[in-house]
Amino acid sequence: MATDKTNLQLVVNGILNENPIFRLVLSMCPAVGISTTVMNGFMLGIAVLFVQVCSSCTIALFKNVIHPRIRIPTYTLTIATWVTVIDMVLAAYLPEAYAKMGIFIKLIVAFAIITMRLEMFASKESVNASFWDGIGMGLGFMFGMMALGFVRELLGMGTLLGYDVLGFKPLLFFVLPLAGFFCVGLMMAFFNYIEIVYKRAKRA
Amino acid sequence: MKDILTIIFRLTVACLLAGLVMGTVFIATDKAKKHNVHVNEQKVMLSLLGYSAKNPAPASVAMHEVYRYLVGEGEALAMGYLLPLRDGSFSFVTIDLAGGFVAQNPVTLAAEKAGEAEARTAAIAVALGADKPLRYADQTIVVTDGGKRTAYLLPGKFPGFKTFIGAILAIDPDFSILGLEIMEHEEDPGLGAEIDQEYFKNQFKGKPLETVKKLEVVKTPLPEEYLKALEAEKSGLGAAEVASIQKQYQDKDIYALTGATISSRSVTNGVKAMVKKFAYRLAILDRVLAEQHIATPF
Repeated sequence: MATDKTNLQLVVNGILNENPIFRLVLSMCPAVGISTTVMNGFMLGIAVLFVQVCSSCTIALFKNVIHPRIRIPTYTLTIATWVTVIDMVLAAYLPEAYAKMGIFIKLIVAFAIITMRLEMFASKESVNASFWDGIGMGLGFMFGMMALGFVRELLGMGTLLGYDVLGFKPLLFFVLPLAGFFCVGLMMAFFNYIEIVYKRAKRA
Repeated sequence: MKDILTIIFRLTVACLLAGLVMGTVFIATDKAKKHNVHVNEQKVMLSLLGYSAKNPAPASVAMHEVYRYLVGEGEALAMGYLLPLRDGSFSFVTIDLAGGFVAQNPVTLAAEKAGEAEARTAAIAVALGADKPLRYADQTIVVTDGGKRTAYLLPGKFPGFKTFIGAILAIDPDFSILGLEIMEHEEDPGLGAEIDQEYFKNQFKGKPLETVKKLEVVKTPLPEEYLKALEAEKSGLGAAEVASIQKQYQDKDIYALTGATISSRSVTNGVKAMVKKFAYRLAILDRVLAEQHIATPF
């Protein structure tokens, strides 16, 4: 069952049609917990992008020797290995980046989006397609996290990327974890609405 | 049955492969990682002493590392100090628990090897004779400026809420606290993890030995003006104002973090114990050094 999409379509697919946060509704824990600022969203997005691409390629490479009954443990093992490797390499060679990203990278092992992508895509497709799909999913996740972070940081703290833009704090409520669910819900509705409008315009 | 065996076999192979990859990367990166940690430690130590990239330490400032060991002397236990000497060599001074001088052994150790735990311990074991039990305890850095002591840096670990909290404490020759920096901890984010925030760790700044000795944690809210002084960088308060407010609160107890009394208390007790024990041990060490005419560079 090889995919008939081009590489570009695979990337766009991850960002728009199958956006991990707003469409697949996966990995809600980090989406709600960490997306309090744009910077946090970006950091976690980068980390997920790396791990997703590396794990997708590994699984696509070894898909024929993975026993179907133990595929989930194997996926977890692969993700854990990559997370550990990236963690150690960053700590050794990029200490400044590690100081900022370290805690996000260690969080990744249990992310639903990565396991799901390995199961749905990488275990059936070629290495090349899995690579582009991984990039798409990673970018989609980063986009989702940053969009959430943008809204929550602006409305919750009145800042963007740490800079004071509004000069006052509109609603502290938005920084709290609870508001993460509201934000995800409202933005999901917003994106669905855009899609409906777009489709209607296309039909007319 | 055959299925189970294949599953076991493949899962084992997968685990072994993963272990192999992780192990290789660990071996390849461990040295660089340790180096980074060391560089970071040096940076933190300098910043605790008030030096930074903009305001580098003058050449007259030197750091002398003293390593403390526990030595088995027959039945009893004794303290051993590895001291750098003025001529660049090392000496291992053993002092019994009552404070009496036991022995002084010269240690052959290259200066750049002293930072490496294994090489250092091996060199001391050779100097002492192989059969004496030896255990590393801690490390103190004596900071001198033109031969005069200006500060002590105490890296230390104490129990926190979940695991150990690693910290570096800077104190001046009168044992007043110059600064505290939390190096590693695994406290709860948003609660106990606040111990590495300025408004908590700066509370220790400037507390004299007499206050530290009976330091407690209080659960009253942090006063607004004190908070501003503790977060001087954020609030933009002038140095003179900060100093006057710090002075006013110098003899007060530590204000606990909201929702993290145990973490606050752990740090407070840890700092208290570090300063108290250090002051006690240093008095003994200094007396022995003077009595035995051991020429240390500090």
